[in-house]
Amino acid sequence: MESVLALGGFVLLRDSVEWEGRSLLKALIKKSALCGEQVHILGCEVSEDEFREGFDSSINSRLIYHDLFRDPLNWSQTGEALPGGPLGALQAMCRRTHPGPVTIALDSLSWLLLHIPCTALCQALGALSRQHAHPGGGSPAEPVRVLGLFHEELHGPGPLGALSSLAQTEVTLSGTMGQASAHILSRRPRQRPAHQTQWFSILPDFSLDLQGGPPLESQPHADPHTAPVDPTAHVTFNLHLSKKEREAKDSLTLPFQFSSEKQQALLRAGPSQATSHIFYEPDAYDDLDQEDPDDDLDV
Amino acid sequence: MAAVATCGTGAGSTGSIAAAASKNNVTSFQRKGPRASGTDSGCSRLVSIAGTRPSVRNGQLLVSTGLPALDQLLGGGLAVGTVLLIEEDKYNIYSSLVFKYFLAEGIINGHTLLVASAKEDPADILQELPAPLLDDNCKKDFDEDVCNDKTPDSNIKMKIAWRYQLLPKMESGPVSSSRFGHYYDASKRMPQELIEASKWHGFFFPEKLSSTLNIESCSLTHGYRKLLQFIQNVIYEEGFDGSSPQKKQKNILRIGIQSLGSPLWGDDICCTENCDNSHSLTKFLYVLRGLLRTSLSACIITMPTHLIQNKAVIARVTNLSDTVVGLESFIGSERETNPLYKDYHGLIHIRQIPRLNNLIYDVSDVKDLAFKLKRKLFTIEHFAWSHCSGGAFQVIAIITRVTGLPVCNRTSPPTFQPPSHLTHGTQVLHLAATAFASRLVRHSEPLKQTGSGRILQAAGPRLWHDGRRQEAPGLLAIPP
Repeated sequence: MESVLALGGFVLLRDSVEWEGRSLLKALIKKSALCGEQVHILGCEVSEDEFREGFDSSINSRLIYHDLFRDPLNWSQTGEALPGGPLGALQAMCRRTHPGPVTIALDSLSWLLLHIPCTALCQALGALSRQHAHPGGGSPAEPVRVLGLFHEELHGPGPLGALSSLAQTEVTLSGTMGQASAHILSRRPRQRPAHQTQWFSILPDFSLDLQGGPPLESQPHADPHTAPVDPTAHVTFNLHLSKKEREAKDSLTLPFQFSSEKQQALLRAGPSQATSHIFYEPDAYDDLDQEDPDDDLDV
Repeated sequence: MAAVATCGTGAGSTGSIAAAASKNNVTSFQRKGPRASGTDSGCSRLVSIAGTRPSVRNGQLLVSTGLPALDQLLGGGLAVGTVLLIEEDKYNIYSSLVFKYFLAEGIINGHTLLVASAKEDPADILQELPAPLLDDNCKKDFDEDVCNDKTPDSNIKMKIAWRYQLLPKMESGPVSSSRFGHYYDASKRMPQELIEASKWHGFFFPEKLSSTLNIESCSLTHGYRKLLQFIQNVIYEEGFDGSSPQKKQKNILRIGIQSLGSPLWGDDICCTENCDNSHSLTKFLYVLRGLLRTSLSACIITMPTHLIQNKAVIARVTNLSDTVVGLESFIGSERETNPLYKDYHGLIHIRQIPRLNNLIYDVSDVKDLAFKLKRKLFTIEHFAWSHCSGGAFQVIAIITRVTGLPVCNRTSPPTFQPPSHLTHGTQVLHLAATAFASRLVRHSEPLKQTGSGRILQAAGPRLWHDGRRQEAPGLLAIPP
């Protein structure tokens, strides 16, 4: 799970109804906050109080909450709501220029997809992960982490494919028998993606408890159809010769008889060889007597 | 090329004779034309640009794609004025590598580059180009790469088919210098001085957007329109379309567009199935092809077609591009653990070859192609089954070398396509040993004339025509 935060970039957290991801999101936020990073949260689905519940005060003081839940369409006109709606809020995050590593949590991407077009969201996510990595002025790259919570049943394969192609790390939540597991797919640039399955549980104070394997009660089913395929299984000709067969094959006289010297000479033949040779080896039925051509006739 | 040479020398000889014969009066037999000279003057008929060569089949000007194996499969190279569309593999590892090979080939040949991307800064893309393999050490590197995967079976001296021991295997090694395609070392970066010496234009889409991302600017035609304007400006200002007379040598513009169609360009064909502006991408390709046809440029586009939801769009995009190559990597699929595929990293599908100034397609008969990224080199090979031993291997080796048809016993039944002159490639060969003893030449479709007017022989297989292409119908019997 450390690799999720270490890699940086855009982390896509895919959850579902059975295995919810907000607690994992909060656990990751707590971990980043404890590392001393700035954490910005764009809250859309739950209220601020509900989100901050469970965090102690030190962490709560580090979290900067942008609330879109209370008044997303700015009906109250009090000026508290974020200008520009959801897209404006995202763009405002793009323009942050605070030094130091930053973690941005988007809760949730599904809500944002319902309100802004998918292409705009993808472009904003791209801008977010790129903005702090290359700040103007040539200072060294600061890691920016964007954690996005995505409810995968709400969307078709299109937005899911588009967002996962943008993500550097994709965490899919599943599990068995009450034990949650995270399937982590991390894509480093120009390297093969790495898969990892991590079993975990989240404690009430939102710290992560990583476990070694699945609980003992659930027996993982051995997949019968992942047995390696043997390509020599259903072949219609004989691939393996027994010893006797091999001997018989080696001692078989080939129909075109010639000696090994002739073979080597022919193999070595090249442009250097000016003259041509005639190799004649009489067959068993060849008649060497030139005078009587009918000698071999059985008359 | 030969034709030009002969009339060049002819002009020289008649010109000199005529000049010697009569200095004052001009005879009607005095040939007016380019004199035989080594360098091309302005009136040479064939443009001789660095890094290009005319096709041996129809004289079309070709550039190398950066992968000599891919050049061979495409019929010698990529034609100038056409689009090469690469369908990306799922994690975009190998398609970006092919993209970089194309750009690296441009730098080595001194072509001008135009790199457009919505994801990465073009300057960063250029920093990651692979280093070229120079002649003196590339042969050593290549040989040690080959030796590493040599199996003991390949050293069997053949008893029956001993004459074929001398035949070379598929040409996959480096050839001499001053050549058309170059080899690259994927583990090293291109030297900085080569990149700085080259001329390149970059188009990074997020920079061209206005600073406020409002909804209108995310409309589909905006990104594509800007890109087309940029390409058009570069072509016009640098004179690739012949509009402004170039004082110096003519050059090729290599255009590379990365991940076209992804949502970062503002196109939502990857996001939804019924999108509003589904014609934006197809319009872009149509206009781009028009720009390319009227200029000395070649374009490579990588597209994440596995994300496109509407299959009809993929078909339209394929029709609007000239050459389409699909990459399918085994990462994450069940084929990764399949021992049949263990030597390779993925499959290459040549989906379309253009028919430029020609009546026939220039399609290779080999349909099973697989690629692997060795430690340094990216190789494309016939997907041949190498798990058999003894006599069967000899037979299969002959058949692979002679006809170029791979012998492949797959666990899944082969998909039979209707016989056409394009698709008699993959034939599952059962009973290889008996097939060798008594070859049945059965023609599955009537003979046809090729564009050049040759009549194919009715009897006897046609072997080794022009390297690897075979216009004769299937050599071996299709199993019942």
